[in-house]
Amino acid sequence: MKHFFLFAVLGVLASGAQAEDMEVVGSVDSKCVITPDTAGVYGNPTPDELSSDPSDGGVDPIVRYDVIQANYYKARISYPNSFSESPALNDVVNWTGDTATSQVSDTGMSGYDAAKIEYDNLTEFNLTVAGSTWFKTETSAEYGYGKAFPAGVYRAVVTAECIAI
Amino acid sequence: MLLAFSSYSYSSEEVFGTTGNAASAGYSWVMQNVLPQQTGLTVNAVVYRYTTIKEREADLLVHVQNENARGPGYIFRSTDDWSGLDGNTINRTIPTDSIDISYWGKGSIETEGEGEVTDAGVYYSYKYTPCEDQQSDPTCPGYIDYTAVQTEESLQLETGEQYIQAELDRKSNLKAQKEEEEREAREKLKEEALEEVTESLETLLGVINTNLLNDQSRVLHDALMAVNYLPKSYFSVLKGGTYSDSIHLKDANLPDAKKGAKVGLAQQILHQEMVQSQWD
Repeated sequence: MKHFFLFAVLGVLASGAQAEDMEVVGSVDSKCVITPDTAGVYGNPTPDELSSDPSDGGVDPIVRYDVIQANYYKARISYPNSFSESPALNDVVNWTGDTATSQVSDTGMSGYDAAKIEYDNLTEFNLTVAGSTWFKTETSAEYGYGKAFPAGVYRAVVTAECIAI
Repeated sequence: MLLAFSSYSYSSEEVFGTTGNAASAGYSWVMQNVLPQQTGLTVNAVVYRYTTIKEREADLLVHVQNENARGPGYIFRSTDDWSGLDGNTINRTIPTDSIDISYWGKGSIETEGEGEVTDAGVYYSYKYTPCEDQQSDPTCPGYIDYTAVQTEESLQLETGEQYIQAELDRKSNLKAQKEEEEREAREKLKEEALEEVTESLETLLGVINTNLLNDQSRVLHDALMAVNYLPKSYFSVLKGGTYSDSIHLKDANLPDAKKGAKVGLAQQILHQEMVQSQWD
């Protein structure tokens, strides 16, 4: 009987209560913005080579990183290791590349190059200073062993990422 | 009306712009050659870029700066410390909180330490309202064409000058008329004087001392001098003196001469006879 009474009271309480679900909405804008600055162009200094080096008639692609707050992000940039578009190739392509700071908005960023981490075709920079940093990537491709590239259009992709630390 | 409204709308809008490279001709520049000379222009930001060539171990400071044109020191100065860092290209945008054009003095890039700056570029981001100074553009509402105003003022001035000139002419005419009357009076007097001189020159002979001349005599004298009428000898001063009477006649009764009375009576009688004979 006691238990029943208790349940009865609880039943009354339950039937008299109201519940509302309140939604909390928020959005996070990235504090790291990547902006393509200069489109790259491959030069063809020799029949077997494609190079973005200006001395080879090419243009190095440049990408800009803007970070609002220091020490929250790292930049990861990869030079190409394959063509996204090319004529049919029946030999191997040897890829080389390098990424370094091109311009900085703060002298402290000039230390990025000394502290960068390279592995495979990737280069990582810890963005320890707020501001804008321009990274330039050199890329070159040699076809076979002194073999001429087939005529056609060649495209490759430099990938730039901003990764939260 | 539509055009006027359109012009006003255009004039009231702010104009934003960026200068060319102030450091293109050297690392020191004059702002008058860089910024548009617009009244009320303000600089919002300075964008600069340069490349340092240095050893990592070397100390290097680079100053990008503008002197304060209205006081001592700098109105803008950004210093980059490259000490212990590799050389690189820096690209910075520094907000300047809308500083008026009048404060922006000579600009320059200076270095301290070991290293070199190359490929420098300095750009100023600015804004201004075209018609903030109404006189900056003839299309601005409220523009006053001072040349036209000057012309109007000149007309007014000319009118005033004409009035003054007319007044001067009137007075001048009165003066000329008066002078003419005086001249005629002098001519008349001169003629009368000449006639009088002709009749009695002797009256002039005693007027050598001009201080004793009355006005009329002076005028007459001048006239005679003008016509060179008087011989020079008349103006020679005679050695004067006093010539006293040397003979004194004592007063006495002088009786009428009987002989004379007879002659006189005879003449009288003769005269009466002659007159009477005319009636006889």
